[in-house]
Amino acid sequence: MIALTRFRLTAYVRSHRVYQALLPILIMLAILHSNVAPAGKEAAVLADSAALMIPFLAWAARSVLDTEPDGQRVISATSVGGPSREVAAGLLAALGANVLFAAVALAAALVIGIATPITTAVLAAGVALHLIAALTGTALGALTSRAILPSPAISIMVLILGYIVMLLVGRSSVYWLTVPVTGWMKAANDNQLVEQLPLIAGISVVWLAAAFAGYAQLRRTRP
Amino acid sequence: MQLSNVSFAYRRRGPSVLRDVAVRLAPGDVIEVVGANGAGKSTLLRLLAGITRPTGGSIVDRPSVVGFAPDRFPADQPFTVAGYLTHLARVRGTASWEPWCARLGLEPLLSVRLGELSKGSAHKVGLVQALMCAPGLLILDEPFAGLDVTTREALPAIIAEVRARSGIVVASDHQGGLQDVPSVRRWSVVDGRVKEGSVKEGSAEEGSAEEGSAEEGSAEEGSAEEGSVKEGSAEPAMGNCAPATVRVTLPADKADAFVARMREAGYEAER
Repeated sequence: MIALTRFRLTAYVRSHRVYQALLPILIMLAILHSNVAPAGKEAAVLADSAALMIPFLAWAARSVLDTEPDGQRVISATSVGGPSREVAAGLLAALGANVLFAAVALAAALVIGIATPITTAVLAAGVALHLIAALTGTALGALTSRAILPSPAISIMVLILGYIVMLLVGRSSVYWLTVPVTGWMKAANDNQLVEQLPLIAGISVVWLAAAFAGYAQLRRTRP
Repeated sequence: MQLSNVSFAYRRRGPSVLRDVAVRLAPGDVIEVVGANGAGKSTLLRLLAGITRPTGGSIVDRPSVVGFAPDRFPADQPFTVAGYLTHLARVRGTASWEPWCARLGLEPLLSVRLGELSKGSAHKVGLVQALMCAPGLLILDEPFAGLDVTTREALPAIIAEVRARSGIVVASDHQGGLQDVPSVRRWSVVDGRVKEGSVKEGSAEEGSAEEGSAEEGSAEEGSAEEGSVKEGSAEPAMGNCAPATVRVTLPADKADAFVARMREAGYEAER
């Protein structure tokens, strides 16, 4: 399965699709960090970076999964010993790419986004949020990949609307109905991020597990 | 390997592409799947390969190593022939592709990018990746399409080798490329049902295998006879009768279609 993950990531890089995600991410990070954050707003910078990365990470995950032609998916599934392993290898490849992109975003925030030193707890929270963002992007990208939504137009619309719905639900009273992206931005603004992180992470883990289970279930009838 | 009452539909309440498929495959079986375009041959092959899950029924005792050669190789990938096969050999764990490339005449093309290959050469890459793992179940979707004469002639021997080590070979074929392979079981896919057709006469040493296949044929008759024969199509049985040769004269542009139709019906036909 790891060999198949490597095969898919190699194809993603060699097909130059990696730049379709990297370039917009670098531009977004340059704009986001065009001003150094004022003292006391360090957590907010990290939280905003993680939140803003999600649509780009979803785009990247979708791109990793869609690099492989449909016919190759069939060959890969028989080579690796079954469709479930092929699905897992694809998700692992998408997550691998997204963890790297999220690491770039985190590094940019720490190096050019903030000037004052931050506590270990805030740093850990920043790392956790970027990891949640990588997972959320992978889930959203997988659910809008070609195997699930064959029409590119519908897939891109669902990807963008999915992110917007996540933001809107997150600021309502039923914020727990999604990965609480707006919630973590608000918590960071109120300097409550470290305290609220366990709740944010808990809700996120539940929805991410549901999203990945849903993807695996949908792929059962969409090999 | 056994398929029991297998059915498949693309949508939950949609029409069934395949239904009531009940067949048993024994080690060493070579099966030719025939049927009109869109009859469900490819779906059947994917079900056998374990890529698609049946919506009803069950498939049990599938050999653990499956090789699948698609009818159209997905050449739109950023790898050379050697790079691609090296990656897929790693996915398989232990597999050696080099001897197969030599055998199918792919050696001069190892450093060529997949996208630059001719259709026939790309098809060979698809065959190599399916063969390199010593499959217990080898599925070939239209294996003879677009192949050069040398490879066309090499393929029956390769199929015989898989059979000799008790592998199962299932091939869909429009080209009559399996006619040199002895004791081939023939399945016709008609209206979503799979019917065991004629067992082609084999050489004497294949007698025992043929016997097994013939038994399968009679076992399947019960399920296959329920309206599975398309109206007007002939009963595809050479059976135990002595063969007779019929000469047919017809317009040249209809000849290929006629021959194909006769083959689908289970008769040996050539132009």
